[in-house]
Amino acid sequence: MYRRLQILVELVARVLAIVGGAVLLCIIVLTCVSIAGRALVTFDLGIGPIRGIYDMTEIGMAAAIFAFLPWAQFTEAHARVDLFQPMMPRTMDRVLDLLFNLAMLVVAAVGTWRLYLGMQDKLSFGETTLIAQIPVWQGYAASLVGAAGFILVAAFCVLRSGRRIAGLPD
Amino acid sequence: MTNIELALWSFPVLLVLVFLRAPIALAMIGIGVAGTYLVIGTSMMTMNQLKTLTYGTFSNYSFSIIPLFLLMGQFATLSGMSAALFRAAESFLGHRKGGVAMSAVGACAGFGAICGSSLATAATMGQVALPELRRYGYPGSLATGALAAGGTLGILIPPSVILVIYAILAEQNIEKLFVAALIPGILAAIGYMIAISVWVHWSPNSAAVKDRVPWGQRMTALGQVWPVIGIFVTVVGGIYAGIFTPTEAAAVGAAGTGLVAFASGQMTWGKLNQAILSTAASSAMIFLIILGAGIYNNFLSLTQLPQTASVWVGDQGFSPWFVLTLVLLMYLLFGCVMDSLSMVLLTVPIIFPIMSVLDFGMSPNDFGLWFGILILIVVEVGLITPPVGMNLFIINSMDKDTPIGQTYKGALPFVLTDIVRVVILAAFPPITLWLVWVIDAL
Amino acid sequence: QDVTLRLHQFLPPPAPVPAMILKPWATQVEEASGGRIKIEHFDAMSLGGRPPELFDQARDGVVDLSMTVVGYTPGRFPRTEVFELPFMMTNPVATAKAYWEMVEADFQSNEYSDVKVLGAWVHGPGLIHSADGVTSLEDMKGLTLRGPTRIINDLLSELGAEPVGMPLPAIPEALSKGVVKATVIPWEVTSSIRLSELVSNHTEFSGNESLYTAAIVLVMNKAKYEALPDDLRAIIDAESGAKLSAFATQVMWDMDAPAREIAVNAGNTITQLDEAEVARWKAASQPVIDRWIADMDSKGIDGAALIEEAKSLIAKHGG
Ligand code: NA
Ligand code: NA
Repeated sequence: MYRRLQILVELVARVLAIVGGAVLLCIIVLTCVSIAGRALVTFDLGIGPIRGIYDMTEIGMAAAIFAFLPWAQFTEAHARVDLFQPMMPRTMDRVLDLLFNLAMLVVAAVGTWRLYLGMQDKLSFGETTLIAQIPVWQGYAASLVGAAGFILVAAFCVLRSGRRIAGLPD
Repeated sequence: MTNIELALWSFPVLLVLVFLRAPIALAMIGIGVAGTYLVIGTSMMTMNQLKTLTYGTFSNYSFSIIPLFLLMGQFATLSGMSAALFRAAESFLGHRKGGVAMSAVGACAGFGAICGSSLATAATMGQVALPELRRYGYPGSLATGALAAGGTLGILIPPSVILVIYAILAEQNIEKLFVAALIPGILAAIGYMIAISVWVHWSPNSAAVKDRVPWGQRMTALGQVWPVIGIFVTVVGGIYAGIFTPTEAAAVGAAGTGLVAFASGQMTWGKLNQAILSTAASSAMIFLIILGAGIYNNFLSLTQLPQTASVWVGDQGFSPWFVLTLVLLMYLLFGCVMDSLSMVLLTVPIIFPIMSVLDFGMSPNDFGLWFGILILIVVEVGLITPPVGMNLFIINSMDKDTPIGQTYKGALPFVLTDIVRVVILAAFPPITLWLVWVIDAL
Repeated sequence: QDVTLRLHQFLPPPAPVPAMILKPWATQVEEASGGRIKIEHFDAMSLGGRPPELFDQARDGVVDLSMTVVGYTPGRFPRTEVFELPFMMTNPVATAKAYWEMVEADFQSNEYSDVKVLGAWVHGPGLIHSADGVTSLEDMKGLTLRGPTRIINDLLSELGAEPVGMPLPAIPEALSKGVVKATVIPWEVTSSIRLSELVSNHTEFSGNESLYTAAIVLVMNKAKYEALPDDLRAIIDAESGAKLSAFATQVMWDMDAPAREIAVNAGNTITQLDEAEVARWKAASQPVIDRWIADMDSKGIDGAALIEEAKSLIAKHGG
């Protein structure tokens, strides 16, 4: 049961990270196209930079970073200081890990909940980006995908650190 | 407890949490939220701010340069340029005493010109150069120490993720910082080579030399590294010439290194996936720290600590140079146990306003650049100082025969050159600023 | 004291708006209250977030007061945009009085219903600052430039230009690097970013005409406002509203002249488009106004009526 859950959670984290990476690659390509278009403006060919490329970059980047969070959580990539780990009793270390993972779950859940409320605000205000006039709520909605994945993975990490205390394998 | 006392107490609490292995981002978020609650007596402020703060931070156009530079570094790793750089450096330096290690440092400097991260530079160059160093009889201490130090050139030489973050926090100009970093970065490489030459001078049997390479072959080897030069000139030169914004330059650099990696045949689907996953983990880690530092610093502003502290420091009549020395020493000390990114995010919003009211006899713009480069160097030293030095760990893990104690010992001469360099650059600001002045005058 | 209010805004402390509008206003409120009200200033976004979030920070009680540019949240305050339409503003102070009157009579109960608006004003005439000079409508074609609001970006596109979105502090770099060739902002802003050293051409519109203006508001958290004791609320009301709005616009408008003087002294070319040319620009901007009216219709707002009302109020106040 745990094994299946683990495979599922890893798959979710991995797929979200790859999708975020694909968004990053799209931003790179669009930016290059826009720069080329800007360079051609002077020749008056009716070609120009992509209108609102900055707006698109911002939205895409937010969605990508949110989609990256689950993978960072799953692979325990968060920066931390391991200086005193060798001196700590093993059980204490693992109990602390469980507490920090619980705290991260709270951060993920509260952060996603507030992000959702933020999206509802933007939706009801009809706010748009400055140039491309993309509705801002859409950026929030795209970000919610990764944020939801973050909750799932953070919950799994709580379970995983609980099992480590019990001496069960990962 | 007054608000200022609350702010002052938050530092030791933060340190305790961090030393208990709390993820640094989590510790900053927790203390920021709790501190804000204690100041204003309600959590409503933080809760409402979170509706827009996270999205606002992650969608910030200036920050988008970070994942792009990280991906660029990953592509550079796949591009095979690390090997070409090492071969080219070897053809010039390999016949000298300690020349293979010097070549590794030179290649790190070259790789640093297309990679914005120290860890990626150390990992990539370690794979290429470490086996060669051991084959030529370099002791594990020197081989791992030199490569760990060489890895820091990834950040010391532009483009540089830490400089981007400093630029955003201290509201400095990214392109000018990149230019200002250039000469100190080259001095770093030279300093590391001097450290190697002194080492092999004192223990002459520690390394074999290669045969001298004729000039024709040297030129051929140099010809192999043109993509590195091309990408560096496009990215750093393109930003400075105003052809594109820093974010656009990072996108162009990522596209360029990606194409080189693709052309080299190294970019399989599997490796592209690996590059993306690695970028994903680092980016998420960095952005979560940026968010945490934002929440924590909001709490500090709420207590008015930064203003109070800068007024206090101004009133004490300390010599600016005394304060600078204290600050740099503090960074060196913290660098022993903390990672450079967290240090910059945590401290620059507090330290920079304090330092900028002191009179070092230079314009505010010059001060911002010069101080940024000094900070960059002292936080980078942290990557190669025991006990916690990420570059030391990365390189040491690649060499099964060398205990970590030997790697610590091997890094010390390089740390010494770093300290000498900081003192020189602090005492003579024009070394850092000269190139900026010259280019601005064009 | 009885009440401490935190005022958050995006400009650095020495800028004219915090130094010459917000701080004097706060001092007056504090003095009128005999020290029972204290206003703490948090400049340059020091309480976190980015400028577009300022309005919500006051709405949600993250701060008590915030000053923001309405255009930072495009589409959110559609009625207010009537004052940002091309060539709507004539006399700035008259426009600010008209804006405040419409806020009080109308906008406060709809698009600003989540907050209490204390001041609603506009800046001086917006004009074009360019590297290569803009002397006629045709010079706009293909010009890359930074536009400040949704409406103005639409106008710039309509005129064949390429609007680029960027925050104000990014303008000097972008201009010096040629990433953009021009920008539209009022004179007052040019001195803080040393614009006169970066471009040598400025294009004004003759007569009482200005290309655009941007709406600015000082808002207060509603619950906080309503929870004030009656006498303190009366004190804040007395110092705010029409008085604050007209004062703020007058201060910003007054700052235009010394900034223009800097450009004159630098030997820059200041072109005044004559009446005939201005008429061409007005004609060319009509599609933008028509689009705005259609856009308002789709939101159930009578845009044409708003335009009429704004125009008659501006005229009433001497514009
Ligand atoms: Na670099
Ligand atoms: Na260290």
